[in-house]
Amino acid sequence: MAEPIVRKRTYWIVYVVLLALTLLTVLLGYLHMGEFNMVVAIAIATIQASLIAGFFMHALYEAPLVRVVTVGGVIWFLIMMTLTLTDYHTRGWLPFPGK
Amino acid sequence: MPDMVSNLSGGGHLPSRVRDHFRTAEQQRESEMLGMWIFLATEVMFFGALFVAFTVYRTGYPQAFGAGSADMNIVLGSINTAILITSSLTMALAVHASEVGNQRWLQVLLVLTMLLGCVFLAIKGVEYYQHYLDHKMPAVWFEYSGADGSKVQMFFVFYFFMTGLHALHMLVGIGVLLVILGRSLAGSFSAEYHTPVAVAALYWSFVDIIWVFLFAIFYLQGLHVMR
Amino acid sequence: MTTPQAPPAAPSHIDYLSERQGIWPWLLTTDHKRIGLLYTASITGFFFIGGFFALLMRLHLLEPKGALFGLETYNKLFTMHGIIMVWFFLIPSIPGTLGNFLIPMMIGAKDLAFPKLNLASWYVFMTGGIVTLYSMLRGGVDTGWTFYVPFSTTYSTAYVAGAAIGIFIAGFSSIMTGLNFIVTIHRMRAPGMTWFRMPIFLWSMYATSLVLVLATPVLAITLLMVIFERLFRVGIFDPSLGGDPVLFQHMFWFYSHPAVYIMILPAMAVISEIIPTFSRKPIFGYTAVAYSSLGIAVVGFLVWGHHMFVAGLSVYSAMAFSFLSYLVAIPSAIKVFNWTATMVKGSVSWDTPMLYAIGFLGLFTIGGMTGLFLAALGIDVHVTDTYFVVAHFHYIMVGGAVMGYLGGVHYWWPKISGKMYPEGLARLSALIVFIGFNLTFFPQFILGYLGMPRRYAAYPDEFQFLHVLSTAGATILGVGYILPLCYLIWSWKYGKPAGRNPWRATGLEWQTSSPPPSHNFEVTPVCTHPAYDFEGMKEELELA
Repeated sequence: MAEPIVRKRTYWIVYVVLLALTLLTVLLGYLHMGEFNMVVAIAIATIQASLIAGFFMHALYEAPLVRVVTVGGVIWFLIMMTLTLTDYHTRGWLPFPGK
Repeated sequence: MPDMVSNLSGGGHLPSRVRDHFRTAEQQRESEMLGMWIFLATEVMFFGALFVAFTVYRTGYPQAFGAGSADMNIVLGSINTAILITSSLTMALAVHASEVGNQRWLQVLLVLTMLLGCVFLAIKGVEYYQHYLDHKMPAVWFEYSGADGSKVQMFFVFYFFMTGLHALHMLVGIGVLLVILGRSLAGSFSAEYHTPVAVAALYWSFVDIIWVFLFAIFYLQGLHVMR
Repeated sequence: MTTPQAPPAAPSHIDYLSERQGIWPWLLTTDHKRIGLLYTASITGFFFIGGFFALLMRLHLLEPKGALFGLETYNKLFTMHGIIMVWFFLIPSIPGTLGNFLIPMMIGAKDLAFPKLNLASWYVFMTGGIVTLYSMLRGGVDTGWTFYVPFSTTYSTAYVAGAAIGIFIAGFSSIMTGLNFIVTIHRMRAPGMTWFRMPIFLWSMYATSLVLVLATPVLAITLLMVIFERLFRVGIFDPSLGGDPVLFQHMFWFYSHPAVYIMILPAMAVISEIIPTFSRKPIFGYTAVAYSSLGIAVVGFLVWGHHMFVAGLSVYSAMAFSFLSYLVAIPSAIKVFNWTATMVKGSVSWDTPMLYAIGFLGLFTIGGMTGLFLAALGIDVHVTDTYFVVAHFHYIMVGGAVMGYLGGVHYWWPKISGKMYPEGLARLSALIVFIGFNLTFFPQFILGYLGMPRRYAAYPDEFQFLHVLSTAGATILGVGYILPLCYLIWSWKYGKPAGRNPWRATGLEWQTSSPPPSHNFEVTPVCTHPAYDFEGMKEELELA
């Protein structure tokens, strides 16, 4: 394991991209986009998170199992989010109070 | 180690670092890394539950949450985001230094990472103090002149709960890095054995990732409301 | 803790029990086998505390107006029974004891991947348990084990925060155990031990660990929010401050429904070992049984809404959750059918573990089938929060998980202690448990269907006969639980030496001596056979 997993140059490139994305997301925040403000902010945050996980945390270079764990964690979070929201988004579809 | 099946051909590691119940150094490294990744998956669910709750209320009260977000200090928030991203870089470079066996650089970068973490926490403290002065601290002093007072307060409850929990994780992270620094100064690491550095770095970068999302949901949603 | 000296079977090695004696070598041990025994002692204590509360409730319900306690005391009794039994007995029961003891041995490893973390998990568990017990001594909790808001956050005057903090702490021990098991099963298997050579026990424990790791953090954060809201009086779930109590139920059941699978999957793990051994046949449909464990773990995360059908869940969401709930029946049925098919044309023997396993099969099937009643929207509205639900989940948790636990304790007792338990007495007590259990809980199905609500301290006169039956059953059940405690402790000292493999079972744990040496194996074993290869084992024995 004398060879480093990722080259220093890669780290610096990723770092610059991350800072640029931060600037971009702040600037986009000033636009009036309605619900899309949140969508854009979350999308950019997801890209930043993927870059940090993939390069800084070596997820792209580790054993496949590590990627399974990472993706698995995210999928389980999405299960929790989606199934909870099935309730909140379908409330009020029927013309009865409380349904 | 009476009947250890040691595999010494796996890249010239230090056998003394291999704990008794592992067969090879590689097995130990992979186990420790996998353990940390699984722990991070539990952290995803830990913070994830809060994100779900936040989403439910934010969907229900978009106006009030926008109004709450407008009280955030975007300058300090952005600076803090940049600081944490920088600390993730220094942490990644610290792992690089440990991989090539450069102990001096490893120690310098660890100290730098911890300092950045402390600056982050200090700025966070300044922000909290500003919220206190603005009477936007639920349970301590909360006043809101508009109609949706309790819903704006809900925004601040989540803000303090989630950023507070994040700050707690930062403190733990700084503690972990202190231990790593101590072990590095004691000469525990080498180009062959540095798994603890990599494991600690995983945790540190993960806490950074959480912040990136907190920044998105708390700071960025009120920017256009102010105009 | 004193451990009597076992006469060494072979003078060349020292077993894990007699290696180093005294309090500290036990309390600071990192040996997974000793930690398993620490867990066994603790959960046995918690089991009898929780059982004591249950017995008090049953005695109270002998009379329609209630025989013993005031209403508030009764509320505290069922709450403390639930909290202790769910979090301090059922969740850690089989993983903490048999899982800890057996997983490294079954895969041919010296220990779990993280032995110190394993010991830490026991201390964290005990800390949580002591905090919870302390808040019970200070006055108890009256919210029900479910901590429903806004009662728990706003109105209850009991020690809610203390109990919640105890459970919050104990949750981390679950996470540590689950994490340790997953890494161990992935990374520590002996040479030749491929995934599809593993005993089904390991597949089921792996699935359990996934649930532990993915669900427990959500419980932790939910309880933290309840504590936060209660202590600081800010709005999170409180409807008067814009909160939504149903959101609490979503988050709570996102953990607590999968938690049912944390309890039942390990019991299934045990049953999958016992039935092949006492049928002298490989398990029928190995691959299907292995994958069905993972299936239960995954689908178990998609069904939590069925606890909330009458709680204000939207109709469309309820339909989706109802449909998904039916899906859990598929992997469960695969298991039940394959266990039954394993026994067909096998040479079945009726030793105590097998009696528990067969008891499990019947009781789990009843519990599972009544679960389908509850997944059906129409029936659920009728029986929600009645004794029907109480009976249903006790058929799963007591008829399933506890029967599995007792079966497993008997099955591996020769390995754990090196001694045989008294077989006749053990069979008798298995029978007592089975009869007592059914007498306790079957009347509750009828009670619930007739409309008896759960958690009530009084009831109309016409329900008295069924309640008296249930209390009589609970008394018998209590005897059935105390008997094994007595004769197992007795056999620890006076039992016949068991030898390496008293059941002629396959599996690496039976290849080492009983009790095993500290490092489990004299030489790292190499796995050359598929699991449950009774034919291959017979040939090897004949050659030897």
